[in-house]
Amino acid sequence: MANKGNTDLEDLGGVVRLREENQKVVKNCESQIQHWKKVLDDYEALRDRLRTLPDQLCYEIMVPFGSLAFMPGKLVHTNEVTVLLGDNWFAKCSAKQAQKIVEHRMKHVGNQLDDVTKTMKNFEARVGFAKELETMSANKGDYVDIREEVGNNDSAITKGKQRIAHKPNSKPKMDVVFDLKEQDEEDEGKSGDTGSRKGIISEEELWARLDELERLEELQDEQDRFSDNAEVNGEESSSSSEEEKETDAAPPVNGSSLKPSWSSVPHGVQPLTDRKREEEDGSCLPTIFFSHMVEPKKVRINTGKNTTLKFSERKEQKENSKRKKKNGHSNGPSHHELHRITTPADIYRLFVDVKNGEPIPRKSILKSRSRENSVCSDTSESSAADFEERRMIGRSFSHDELTHSDTSDGITEEDSPTAVPLQTPSRFEAFSGLVVEKDPMPSGVPHLTIVPPALPTILERKQEEVAPDVPPPEQAPKRVSKFKAARLQQK
Amino acid sequence: MAEAIQKKLKAEVEKYALMQKDVSKSVSARQKLETQLAENNIVKEELDLLDSSNIVFKLIGPVLVKQDLDEAKATVAKRLEYINGEIQRYETLLKDFEKKSEQQREILTSLQQDFQKAQGLAAGKV
Repeated sequence: MANKGNTDLEDLGGVVRLREENQKVVKNCESQIQHWKKVLDDYEALRDRLRTLPDQLCYEIMVPFGSLAFMPGKLVHTNEVTVLLGDNWFAKCSAKQAQKIVEHRMKHVGNQLDDVTKTMKNFEARVGFAKELETMSANKGDYVDIREEVGNNDSAITKGKQRIAHKPNSKPKMDVVFDLKEQDEEDEGKSGDTGSRKGIISEEELWARLDELERLEELQDEQDRFSDNAEVNGEESSSSSEEEKETDAAPPVNGSSLKPSWSSVPHGVQPLTDRKREEEDGSCLPTIFFSHMVEPKKVRINTGKNTTLKFSERKEQKENSKRKKKNGHSNGPSHHELHRITTPADIYRLFVDVKNGEPIPRKSILKSRSRENSVCSDTSESSAADFEERRMIGRSFSHDELTHSDTSDGITEEDSPTAVPLQTPSRFEAFSGLVVEKDPMPSGVPHLTIVPPALPTILERKQEEVAPDVPPPEQAPKRVSKFKAARLQQK
Repeated sequence: MAEAIQKKLKAEVEKYALMQKDVSKSVSARQKLETQLAENNIVKEELDLLDSSNIVFKLIGPVLVKQDLDEAKATVAKRLEYINGEIQRYETLLKDFEKKSEQQREILTSLQQDFQKAQGLAAGKV
């Protein structure tokens, strides 16, 4: 109530002031009116005088002499009147003319008077209003002003917390669903698209699932085939055995499982198994598997071993998009590993250029001869190259993971050049990630040796790959020929 | 900080006072002109009422100088025009002065706010 009282006083003060000001104006108007009335009266008298003045020829009057004396005198020329017109102008007129002037002036004065009375009435009304307002604010009059004080945060108005209006289309928490989203991303097959995936995921997921199943079957068939044709070299005996392991392990797993299960790389096995699991689980997590879309074309490195590296277009894209996203990620759950390079295959999976809607594997940096049997050709020879790739990727992955190089890894690393994506004119979207591996090819392998543990390496390799894209394709086939010969011999 | 603002405020207030004076001067001048205008209008009308038989005088100092009626009429007309022009000029001047005073007023209010803030801060600190 105290507040209300204060406000009332303030209002009262304002209203009072208003009333007072208005009253002043009214008084002013009143004084003006009086003035004009007086003038009007004077003119009335003058008019009368002028009317009677010419009656006589001359009048005897007492003429004022100074301020204190009078003198008897005569008023002559009664009809001649000098009229002050205004602004120091005089005019000698007859009495009648003077009358006319006087009447004219009286008219003017009357106008003035009317104006003043109007303003006075106006202000009188305002005064009345101010008075009424005063009485109302003081709650003395008949009309009361209804007021309600609004208190800010006086009491809890709403139950619970105050809600913050979120912007529309704002992304909700991402952390929890992060992993899952990665999977979803894979399924969608979008390359580097981080836009809203939710609506599209379901549809894409279905398609991806179908493709996966198809490829799985193909993979299995191929694996069965290649396991028979696996070539084993002296140097690569270990790798071949691994390859066998891999091939055995591969079928149940999607293409990404082309990671050799190195004994020295326990982690490498894990992704394999994980992938297996993923594949088996199937329904929830999308998995990457390498298989050719239409025909089973194999990209392989002619290392004398028959390895098949199959890629699916979508998977490539997914992996690419995934990798782009999670370059710095390490040791995530299994589905994160898709970005990781655990096998040489992964490398080529990573670096796939999407041209005309199809992911075209990058050109191999190897010399042309080494590329004869790899990439483009759909022969069993290519499988060896693929296997080498996988091996390389696996090794690099191990590097990434363990940050150390195994002796066994070291050897193969030297041999197999990384990032030699070959241009596969065929439908292989997959990666042409051909790692063309030649036994004694120290020159072509600077990449792998460079392999630093961190992911940035992959990026570096990527850049490196881009550079040598042009020369290698032609060189590769030539290189391959050596191994091809060896393989042929072995066969 | 508060003192500086205070000084600024004072300076601005003085400026504002000067501007207000200009405004009032121009206003009063305009009023005078208005009355003269009204008077001359009446003179003109009354001269129209007169005819040539009447002798018209003009008071120049203590001397009443005979004037021709037509001449008087012309003179009065010229004076009227002159007064009208003067009124126009004074009106524009008045507008300018008003604008300036408004700007000054705004400056003053902003300064005042700053001053109050500074005062509040100072009070808080102390």
